Amino acid sequence: MATRFFESTTEDDYSQVPPQLLKRMSRYRVARADTCINCGTCASLCPYGVHRRVEGHVSILPPADPKCIGPSCASNSFYCVKNCPTGSLSLSANPAFTSMGDPRWTAEMILGTWKMAESGEPLPLDHQANTGASGGGFDRMSFELPPLKGSFDPGSISTAIDLNHRKEGTRVRIPIPVYGGGMSFGSISQRTMLARAMAAKEWGTFTCTGEGGYPELLIPYKEHVITQIATGLFGVREETIKRAPIVEFKYAQGAKPGLGGHLLYEKNTPDVARMREAVPFTNLFSPFPFHSVYSVEDHKKHLDWIASVNPRALLSVKVSTPNDVEMVAVGSYYAGAHIVHLDGGYGGTGAAPEIAKKNIAMPIEYAIPKVHRFLEKEGIREEVTLIASGGVRTAMDVAKAIALGADGVVIGTAELVALGCVRCANCESGRGCPRGIATTDKELEQLNQIPILARRLSNLYRSWRLQWCELLFRLDMNDLRQLRGRTDLLRYAGTPGRMLP
Amino acid sequence: MYERYHVPKKEMPPPGVPFSKSSVIRSDRCMNCGRCKDACVYGVHERDASDPRTMAEPKSYLCKNCLRCVEDCPQRALSVELSPSYLQLGGGLWTPQRIFTIWNEAWTGKIPVFGAGYRGKFVGPGYDSMWTDMSEIVRPTRDGIHGREFISTSVDLGKRVDYLEFDEAGRLMTKMPDFVELPIPMVLDLTRIDLTPQARKGLMQAAKTLGTLFMAQAEGALPNGSNGSMVPVFAPGRTSANPDLSSPRMVEVEHSSDWRSDLRALKERFGGTPVGIRIQARNGVEREVVELASSDVDVVHILYDEQGQEVDGRLAKDSLMAVNRALATASLRERVSIIAGGGLAAAEHVPKSLICGADAVTMERALKVALGCQACADCDKDRCMADRESVTSDWSKWRAVNLIGAWRDQLLEVMGAMGMREARRLRGEIGRAIFFEEVEKDAFAGIKGGA
Repeated sequence: MATRFFESTTEDDYSQVPPQLLKRMSRYRVARADTCINCGTCASLCPYGVHRRVEGHVSILPPADPKCIGPSCASNSFYCVKNCPTGSLSLSANPAFTSMGDPRWTAEMILGTWKMAESGEPLPLDHQANTGASGGGFDRMSFELPPLKGSFDPGSISTAIDLNHRKEGTRVRIPIPVYGGGMSFGSISQRTMLARAMAAKEWGTFTCTGEGGYPELLIPYKEHVITQIATGLFGVREETIKRAPIVEFKYAQGAKPGLGGHLLYEKNTPDVARMREAVPFTNLFSPFPFHSVYSVEDHKKHLDWIASVNPRALLSVKVSTPNDVEMVAVGSYYAGAHIVHLDGGYGGTGAAPEIAKKNIAMPIEYAIPKVHRFLEKEGIREEVTLIASGGVRTAMDVAKAIALGADGVVIGTAELVALGCVRCANCESGRGCPRGIATTDKELEQLNQIPILARRLSNLYRSWRLQWCELLFRLDMNDLRQLRGRTDLLRYAGTPGRMLP
Repeated sequence: MYERYHVPKKEMPPPGVPFSKSSVIRSDRCMNCGRCKDACVYGVHERDASDPRTMAEPKSYLCKNCLRCVEDCPQRALSVELSPSYLQLGGGLWTPQRIFTIWNEAWTGKIPVFGAGYRGKFVGPGYDSMWTDMSEIVRPTRDGIHGREFISTSVDLGKRVDYLEFDEAGRLMTKMPDFVELPIPMVLDLTRIDLTPQARKGLMQAAKTLGTLFMAQAEGALPNGSNGSMVPVFAPGRTSANPDLSSPRMVEVEHSSDWRSDLRALKERFGGTPVGIRIQARNGVEREVVELASSDVDVVHILYDEQGQEVDGRLAKDSLMAVNRALATASLRERVSIIAGGGLAAAEHVPKSLICGADAVTMERALKVALGCQACADCDKDRCMADRESVTSDWSKWRAVNLIGAWRDQLLEVMGAMGMREARRLRGEIGRAIFFEEVEKDAFAGIKGGA
């Protein structure tokens, strides 16, 4: 079923979702002053529908800012601000837009991700929503691209990657180079989990349970759900291991490298507690590290345990990015891992101390080339699937990660943003996410409908795939795997000395 | 009997309405439908208690910037923006985010925890261009924060002997120098900030509660015995000031051309008490520190400015690494302890200062920020929140204890991730840090335009 995306180009396989979010959030603000006499000139002029007067109403409706094209409209004859007879209209930047986002996830990037999630259409590769404003790493990197000449057929371009590069074991191929990161039930709602699984199934890729058990409603999607085993062993049972095509060991996570997990008591509702076999409304800690693993040998015992419980499963080892990350990667390979998953320090979705996010372990941009080259020197690069995550936000970030040497990428925050997250960062406590995505609150959860959530994710994947296809076409490639390690195609803006303010 | 070190904490909210990071603005278009009240999970929007037909002014200080009310308002009457007073906080190293964080730490004593990943710049100057290492699998971490595994944050100030000598009967012949053991690598320096008498008293009590030291001018200092936590700081040539002082745990004198005679005078006056010399950090400070370390000085206290820089602009990170290297090269590293002061604006600056070569740090401006100071470029006592008459010593004490307790917990997080069990071993451990210049070169040198 995965192949269908290679067959058609203008397929109706996707559908747009109601523009719930874009309808309300805009770059510009059109303000109408009290001096307006409701003459309706603006409504008759604006071709974009910003101004509307409803038959029978005395007053004209408040301006629909999201439809406004902004200051560039000034050169048009129909520019409302110039044409208003009483001078009551003004146009300015929307303060809510400028207060949204941050250097890593700019407001443009959030809106661009929403746009793709709502439309399923790709953004142009040079769109500013493809890069952040953090001033380093991916944000200073770009592909040197020839201009797009002619059109291309996405059906003839493969974006698939293999997840098992070892000679033995189950063959697993995913048609897009991304799968979903671990987010537990407890951190996110069951609806969000289900939507992720549905999108993963539609695309033939994977999502991950995180460390909070395996909700039964995911069982119909079990061929696309990774079972995570983390240090607290919450909800891990023999049957959850047996049903998984991939089992992921979480040694560390990029949100808080070197620190344990923590579910605050407020989110530990009776449902969550039942799944985790814990007491409701208590703080749940996952210790750090695995207290059974103090060496690569211990680590191998861990992997052997899973291999004996579920011989068909691929084994993934999720580690963070210390100075000696390449040694950890090599050790994991020799211990039997199929997938080495590096989770860089700037990523993550979960509750984490601010000090850990910024200061502990290196960003993923440094870890990928380090590990890639080391595995090459060790002569085992072709037997390891190197997956990167942690601060990979857009399709172009994915492509850059692959060009730096990764095989594929795991995403988390990008999925949540596609679902409507604005990164207000208050998901960890209280009732959780006010938008109902990362919450266990029964009432807030209902803000979202599962089919729409699933569609938004699916649309995001579609948009991303089309972006990769355009990238590959312009680079004269037809297979994403050709891009791996091609740092020669990248350009880096400026010397590091100049980067420091 | 052994007692595990513990920082007590006590919620200390700011007086009045808390500071708002966001401003929620309701325009005239509002028709009081109350949908915002349903949308907001934080209680920003409520109906007016005196007239339930209308909506009350939004409580901006509760807003978490989720923008749900903005989206749900049918009249597009609401907007949320970062408040101008937030954006104007501080300057330079003292970013609005850091000041706001210190206020919250001083209020609750808790580590700041949020979801959704890192939100800031990739790198920045000084300590923002280094990362601390972590351990996994081959080098396990230590689970310190919840107390399951013990991590010591104690450090020593003073000289260490190079070797021990015993006589034939096995008796120790070496005279052991006095040193000060502190349970945390943080000392309160009250000489570099202006404080009201009540605030000053509160911070002195905080030092006592924390079991650490505070530094105050020797002249005009409180009579001796008021607090065993005081480090009197003498002005050059005035080492006989305040004759009432007796048996402080440590003393300091400001550096001058006559430092040798000051040092001698203090050693005579206070016996074996460790003597520190405070020196202004400037270009070539490492050579001055080596010279001091070759004498009888026990502690060198290097003063950076509030932006964490030397007089000539070199950053504390580079300066401390140079000092540490120079001392190690001269085989003098154990002969003195280094205290670094100035420009500590965030919890991560403590472990990073230690990694770069300090034995301990002092806190100054951060303490005043904990009391409500906004680290304005133009300091104005008349409008400073920290200089209000109504600030009590008890409130000041707990605000400082909460802040330092939260910073210590964050130090534990960093050390836990590194797998370190001793703050003493953090000193100069640059091998357990990741430096921007190096990794940038390693990773991107081969890319066109790269390092």
